[in-house]
Amino acid sequence: MFEKLIDNSMAKSPWIFHINAGSCNGCDIELVSVLTPRYDAERLGFKLTGTPRQADIVVVSGPITVQTRDRLVRTLAQVPEPRVVVSLGSCPRSGNVFKGSYAIDGPLEKYTHVDVSVGGCTPKPEAIMAALVQAAQILEEKRKEMRK
Amino acid sequence: MLPYLTKAVSNLFHKPSTEQFPAGDPPKAAEGYRGRLSYDPEKCVNCGMCIRVCAPQCMERTIEKLENGDQKITFTFDMTSCTFCSMCADFCARHAITLTDDYMIVGTKPEDFLVTGSFVKKAPPPKPKLTPEQIAEMKAKAEAAKKAKAEAAAKAAAAAADNG
Repeated sequence: MFEKLIDNSMAKSPWIFHINAGSCNGCDIELVSVLTPRYDAERLGFKLTGTPRQADIVVVSGPITVQTRDRLVRTLAQVPEPRVVVSLGSCPRSGNVFKGSYAIDGPLEKYTHVDVSVGGCTPKPEAIMAALVQAAQILEEKRKEMRK
Repeated sequence: MLPYLTKAVSNLFHKPSTEQFPAGDPPKAAEGYRGRLSYDPEKCVNCGMCIRVCAPQCMERTIEKLENGDQKITFTFDMTSCTFCSMCADFCARHAITLTDDYMIVGTKPEDFLVTGSFVKKAPPPKPKLTPEQIAEMKAKAEAAKKAKAEAAAKAAAAAADNG
């Protein structure tokens, strides 16, 4: 009965959860700056949440280090479907300058599907914003497909 | 109290300081911004210097042999592996690599992040075939020239010794 209303409301508030998988903190700072008043992603409904269980969009930054690998997998498993994974920066896709290190066990594609990627080291907040908007659209489509 | 009040009232008539980005065009990057790489295969000479200096090894070179002896050389730059340090552009002697100010590197497929370019490297023209007689003639000529040079040097040395 209220399904349509709930779906419309949820499309307008995609909550994001941020996982730092060994990032150098550059991408994390840029993601936080997206939420500050200058770029203000919250006007589009994006809200940084503290728990993966409430998240719709998961933003992963950093090359997957051996230390964070198991925690990443465990955290991703707690995010309810439909979920959209955004890889932030060059690291999750390729390992960047850490490529070939014994402490790296990437790329992110090994552990989960990646829907949207942002390149850059670090990406500009506008690029992150564009990726989040794209992720929200993908999330809406995924939710529609789940309802069928 | 009054300054705050005037500011509060004047803010009602200002545009918000938030950037309106997803609505409208993205703003231009700052001058000297290092964004998506651009590669000009027409200028490249395949020296491989960029591959040597690239820390994250983001470039790949494939050399394909064509039937007529030419080589088709393809460079592929992966923008999700790049650190945008500009070392490749600095070391490129022919300025084939430049970093543009395009920072919108967003996509869903791996192909969205690749910058590729290829060119054909022509094989050198075949060397003319010489007969043994021609080679002997050239050798004799070279030896005669050497002898003449040595004689001239000896003469000059003798003249210098006389003067001294």
